[in-house]
Amino acid sequence: MSLETTLPGATPTPPKVSSIRALIARMVANPLGGVIGAMILIFGISCLLSPHFLTSFNMIIIARALAFIGLVTIGQAVLMILGELDLSVGAIGGLAGVVGGMLMVQVGLNPWLSLALCLLMGAGCGLLNGLLITQLRLHSLVLTIGMAGVYGGANLVATRGVAITGVPHEISFLGRGLVLGVPVPFLVLLVCLTVVAFVMMRTPVGRYIYAIGSNPQAARMLGIRVNAIRMGAFALAGFLSALAGILMVARLGTAQPSIGDTWVLSPIAAAVIGGVATTGGLGSPVGAVLGAVIIGIIEDIIVLFGISPYWQSVVSGGIVVLAISLDSLARHYLNRDAS
Amino acid sequence: MAVLQVEAVRKSYPGVVALDHVDLTLEPGKIHILAGENGAGKSTLIKTLTGLVTPDEGTVLIEGQDALADHSLFSRIAYVPQELNLFPSMTVAENMFMPFHRSGFGHLTISRKAMEAEASRFIERFGIHARPGQTVSRISVSDQQLLQIARAACRDEFKVLILDEPTSSLTANETEHLFRIITTLRDSGCAIVFVSHKMEEIFSLGDTVTVLRNGRSVGTYPMDGMTEDQLIRLMSGSSVQLEEKFQPRGDIDDSDILLSVEGLTGPGFSDVSFQLRRGEILGFAGLVGAGRSEVMQTMFGYHSAKSGRCMFNGKEIPRGRTDRAVAMGMVYLSEERKHHGIFPLLSVRENISLSVLEKMKRGGIISSGKEKSIVSETIQKFDVRTSSVGKKIVFLSGGNQQKAIIGRAMARRPRILIFDEPTKGIDIGTKFQIYRIMQQLAEEGVGIILVSSEMTELQRCATRIITMYGGRTTGSFDQATTDVNTLVGAIIGATETRHVA
Repeated sequence: MSLETTLPGATPTPPKVSSIRALIARMVANPLGGVIGAMILIFGISCLLSPHFLTSFNMIIIARALAFIGLVTIGQAVLMILGELDLSVGAIGGLAGVVGGMLMVQVGLNPWLSLALCLLMGAGCGLLNGLLITQLRLHSLVLTIGMAGVYGGANLVATRGVAITGVPHEISFLGRGLVLGVPVPFLVLLVCLTVVAFVMMRTPVGRYIYAIGSNPQAARMLGIRVNAIRMGAFALAGFLSALAGILMVARLGTAQPSIGDTWVLSPIAAAVIGGVATTGGLGSPVGAVLGAVIIGIIEDIIVLFGISPYWQSVVSGGIVVLAISLDSLARHYLNRDAS
Repeated sequence: MAVLQVEAVRKSYPGVVALDHVDLTLEPGKIHILAGENGAGKSTLIKTLTGLVTPDEGTVLIEGQDALADHSLFSRIAYVPQELNLFPSMTVAENMFMPFHRSGFGHLTISRKAMEAEASRFIERFGIHARPGQTVSRISVSDQQLLQIARAACRDEFKVLILDEPTSSLTANETEHLFRIITTLRDSGCAIVFVSHKMEEIFSLGDTVTVLRNGRSVGTYPMDGMTEDQLIRLMSGSSVQLEEKFQPRGDIDDSDILLSVEGLTGPGFSDVSFQLRRGEILGFAGLVGAGRSEVMQTMFGYHSAKSGRCMFNGKEIPRGRTDRAVAMGMVYLSEERKHHGIFPLLSVRENISLSVLEKMKRGGIISSGKEKSIVSETIQKFDVRTSSVGKKIVFLSGGNQQKAIIGRAMARRPRILIFDEPTKGIDIGTKFQIYRIMQQLAEEGVGIILVSSEMTELQRCATRIITMYGGRTTGSFDQATTDVNTLVGAIIGATETRHVA
């Protein structure tokens, strides 16, 4: 690795340690290095552990499951980079799903129109969150806990807790179909991720989002439209959650009121694993989705191993804690001799 | 015998010498005034007296013993900071004895009864109008101030009490009450250090005064026989250095008004009116808390105005919209570089380009080529020293951060620029670079407002100076024909201010 160590007379340092250190240093330096490294590691271990892991059937299962959580993760990651959080994303997804089901089945509207209305409604719910937070100067965490109750409650009022069956076949392709062997929801995720990642990296609005997350006062002093961008980000998160909700309906063929119940905490954990700071200003949606991939693989391998469902959340939660500790441990290891 | 003796104390921070061979001797039973302009070194000296700052050189003796060797001696110094820092939702007694383990109440459980009994002793001694069990947020501000003094004093038998501008939030009656307590404490043999900018307080309380200027002690004088004029001259330094001046050269057209502020009222100030002409540097003088930054931030839309309006070239700037003010061509550089200026998580490049991203777009996308060229141009022009543009801005020195921020503001080509304390915490070389930038911009026709607490800075750069005191403007002076004593008089609210322009 380092030439000096091989020169005669130079102080001998064990090259192995320095190369490991350099590798860790490079992974920490690259914002995505850590999460990509962890993902490859977990993928490799999974391949060794189970012969059923690296099969096209299993890969399709992982990809499809990932798509829904991934879409929600994108929106949550953008909000977290901005320094906000939305705990009502799951409720918005569920509400969008059942409203979609009702429009198609009970109202008999054109499925595609229903889908568009649902997405609009999701964006509207997000926008409402953003509007209340910015205009009433509320803390996003508290407000969205309340709004999660409102949206979730509206869902139960509308459905009385009963699933809406008989969703038209035209849209089931969106949830169940494969294109070139790849599940359609996963393709939708890739498209959304590409667009959002591009906006975050290469446009002024993306740069402003990082700036606001880094220092909101300074952003206002600079004349950045902080509140408008905040509201836009909440609307985006609502839109993506609604998209995940309606894709789930298409996949199940029924609009379950319980859709979205598990979409709140996993995306936040995924974003943190992927390098998004809970305090804002750091990370990327790509990293966050890779974090979701890690969680998805872990959950899959737990199933493949036939671990008792009661233990599943203990194991996956433990691994999440381990994964986020690794980054901080790696930094600590590097700084130990540096100072 | 002196209770506290400071000799030849020196303290420097990177780029600034805060204290340079300062001496101070405190006698028991005397009220000692600490006077000086902002940035003269008063707060660093106080921090040295209380043990918060360890000086680079010099000695601190408390009752004849070396306090730098034995830090426990500092417990004999009671210090009351300027801002209230009480726990508003807890009781008077709880506030007084926090942290409990230090005051002897920190057993497994806290006996409310014993604590309140002990507290009532101090409440009586300091004349606080409150019951020990009352919640602090429900007692008056002056009682809170007294409680803060009592809290500082109840730890040990203190020998020295330091009060840093204790009256800044008090009414005249409350001040009088506070002064009675202070004189009682003095008569009981306590040495008191009193920091204030208000002349009437200095003259009614003080026995001795030590004047600081630019981190050096000018001298210690008895208050007997001292006049207001003399003290002001000692504080400001009567001999203003005949150094380089940075006023814009060339004529200013009096009718070419860029900004007109009419009866603006907002947080902490009221009824402020003034005009800014093209090509002038308009100085704003005043003490900390006079409302200068608030006026600027309200004009700029960062705070909402209660009434009044700001006309930019005949068009009104909408209230509370920084984005509109910026779009119209106004830029504000805050005094709080850390809170309002830099984006700590972003790189130097991203920090600079943030204000001009719209100019770098090609089809809605940031063109990295354009970004690189604009950023490197700014870095060169404003002499920002960094090893790479990809470095996070927090790793740059304060002066280089400031130059990067000024460069960012300039890249927008503003027509009005507000500099709020642009040279705070910046070394002298960079200071002069910033003055030169201001001068050059003004000559190019930009209207500049310079808010500064340093008189020498205003005299060096401003063409006209507006003074503020207690949230109101107290005068407008032509720099060339006004002496510094008049200006200092106007910013400390002295009764006679002569209006020259």
